[in-house]
Amino acid sequence: MRITEQMRYDSVSNNLSQLSARQAKAAQESQTGLRVNLPSDDPIAAAELARVRASQGQIGARRGTITAVRGDAELAESSLQQASDLLATAKDLAMQGGNGALAASERAGLARQVKDLKDQLVAVANTQGTTGYLFGGSATQTRPFDNSGAFSGNDDDHVVDIGNSTPTAVNASGSRAFTAAAGGRDVFADLDALYTALNTNDTVGITATLSNLDVSRAQLTNAQAGMGITINKLDASDSVLAAVDQQTSTRKEEIGSADPAKAYATLVQLNNSLQQSATVSKNILDLAAFKQF
Amino acid sequence: MAGLTQLLNVARDALAAQSYGLNVTGQNISNASTPGYARRVALLQTQNLGTQSGGGVVAAGLQRVTNDFIERREFQATGTSSAATARDQTLASIEALFNDGGGTGLGSAMSDVFSSFSALAANPNDTTTREKVLAAVGTFSDRANDTANTIAQTKMDLTKQAQDTIDQVNQRAQEIAKLDMQIAQAAMQGDDASDLKDQRTQKILNMSGLINTHTFTDSSGSTVVQVAGTTIVDGQHARTLSLDMNADGSLKLLADQSGGGATEITQYLTGGKLGGIKEVRDKDLFDVSAQLNQFVFDVGTAINTQHAAGVGADGGTGRNLFDLGATSTNAARDVRVSVDVFAHPDRIAAASNVFSVPGGSDNAVLLSKLFESPIAVGNTRTAAQAYGDIVGSIGSTRASSQRDVDTQGAILQQVQNMHQSESGVSLDEEMVNLTKFQNAYQAASKMIGVADQLMQTLLNTVGR
Repeated sequence: MRITEQMRYDSVSNNLSQLSARQAKAAQESQTGLRVNLPSDDPIAAAELARVRASQGQIGARRGTITAVRGDAELAESSLQQASDLLATAKDLAMQGGNGALAASERAGLARQVKDLKDQLVAVANTQGTTGYLFGGSATQTRPFDNSGAFSGNDDDHVVDIGNSTPTAVNASGSRAFTAAAGGRDVFADLDALYTALNTNDTVGITATLSNLDVSRAQLTNAQAGMGITINKLDASDSVLAAVDQQTSTRKEEIGSADPAKAYATLVQLNNSLQQSATVSKNILDLAAFKQF
Repeated sequence: MAGLTQLLNVARDALAAQSYGLNVTGQNISNASTPGYARRVALLQTQNLGTQSGGGVVAAGLQRVTNDFIERREFQATGTSSAATARDQTLASIEALFNDGGGTGLGSAMSDVFSSFSALAANPNDTTTREKVLAAVGTFSDRANDTANTIAQTKMDLTKQAQDTIDQVNQRAQEIAKLDMQIAQAAMQGDDASDLKDQRTQKILNMSGLINTHTFTDSSGSTVVQVAGTTIVDGQHARTLSLDMNADGSLKLLADQSGGGATEITQYLTGGKLGGIKEVRDKDLFDVSAQLNQFVFDVGTAINTQHAAGVGADGGTGRNLFDLGATSTNAARDVRVSVDVFAHPDRIAAASNVFSVPGGSDNAVLLSKLFESPIAVGNTRTAAQAYGDIVGSIGSTRASSQRDVDTQGAILQQVQNMHQSESGVSLDEEMVNLTKFQNAYQAASKMIGVADQLMQTLLNTVGR
């Protein structure tokens, strides 16, 4: 085959160009730490990366949701604890009032304390979190309990998406915790009964409220326990999501990241190849026989 | 019997012939880097005097060393390589539109929409959260619009490039026809037309980079140039190509007819820059647009359906979140935040019924759950899967295109090497030829000197 100068120039030019392109690609991998910088670098990996990125975004959103609702859930739980404590105090007052040695005026004093407890309980039942009133169901912008303890909210759940197959309720039902709507006891009515019995010096009536106060308190404790379970569920979901997030990040690394050692080795190898090729190219171009004439 | 005069004549002819050889060699050296130049070989032959051998040499002209078969291969390989390159350049820019590595692309915007629904469920009565939903929906619409508009702009640019390319083809055709005429005139006058032939070959090669080109020599010896299966130059006559558009927006290539009118030759357009433009514009970009429109339409429709089933904080229901057409046609270009909810965050339907307003979040949860529901591609793929499919499809197309560029480039390089090997100038060879003709010239000069000495000797002897 005849070899002409143009063939030599073309060959040198093409080889250097191809090597430079490979070297640039290796340098990009080494600099970015990414194996897939464009969809065409590895179409299957790029497609999976797009899906994984979207999934990771959704995981982040769900963890954000958990963070957002957890504060209100904790506030609801502590509010129910306060309510339960108030009923415990009310029961103490009832037991004091049941003492036969007490004068009527002293029972009237206890009645005023019970009245204060009820006011405090109404305030607790109207606790507001970041989303509004915590115990009003979906009526978050309306005070659910009036001063008498009458309930004007609803029993709707506040549901969120934290990755479970079904929506997760994250609120405590005010109607179930404080009212007799679901077959329980009206906590405020029980306090009213105690107040009336104390105020009217009715020792039999006072004694009769004790068991009701126990049931009411248990009702609040159950609601508090329910919130505890909800908080645990949120924490468990967050742990699962954190683990999935970690797995997803690992998967993303596996799919799209370059092996740093391999990328660097390839870069060094190609740098050397490029230098060698440049030297050889110079020799090839210098070796033209006509220069010897 | 040949005398001293004959020796002088032989030496004179030798000087002329070797000088001619030196000229041809010089021409080759001068044009060693000239594109399209085919090396020349000086044709020297012995000189006859009638039936007798004169013993001299004469330059019978020169030979332009070419190989029609290799030239045709080069035209074909140039066209195929140009088509692959033109296609790949456009695909590179389109691929970048779907590269979501920076988290600013359509895929990220889609993910943010579903994330905003999740946040809405956590705090359905919060105005800021509702505004974030509108912002996410707006960003998704904007990204879809931007992507669709960039594709549309790319198609317009390609249309302009196609028109420019056709103008160049028509110009080359005129130039080739003119060169054919000049070559014919030179042949009639007995002149060497090698330079004109070089130029013609170079013009045809240039044309083959613009459109798939084939040449052959007809029975009269004229070179016939065909592009896209149609004769565009026949001797000194050139036809004109033009561009039109079909009803679906695809390009239509037409060749004028001698009796008026034009014939469509689009189906025979397979190579050159124009072939690459046609393929990427009317097939690749069409496919990408169709996938993008379907994706936006599917996602937008699913979200609209669920949103319309819910109730806003203002108690209103039946509202869409996106303004979309009835079909996927141009969905990516036309999608907008619905006028029903635009600038009205209170109209975002987080609740499923009017009784659970304002704290109801069940519809927001259902909207968020759409992320993992098969809402795209005939309800067979999730939104993330469908978007991944688009990314994978574009990546595959570009990767295939890059391989095509490499393969066709290698084939072209091989053919160019064959062409160079046949017709290219080797400076090594030319240096040898230079020395050969130089030595021969010097020897012929020496012959004159010898003849002169002999003549002097003879004259001195006779004159004594």
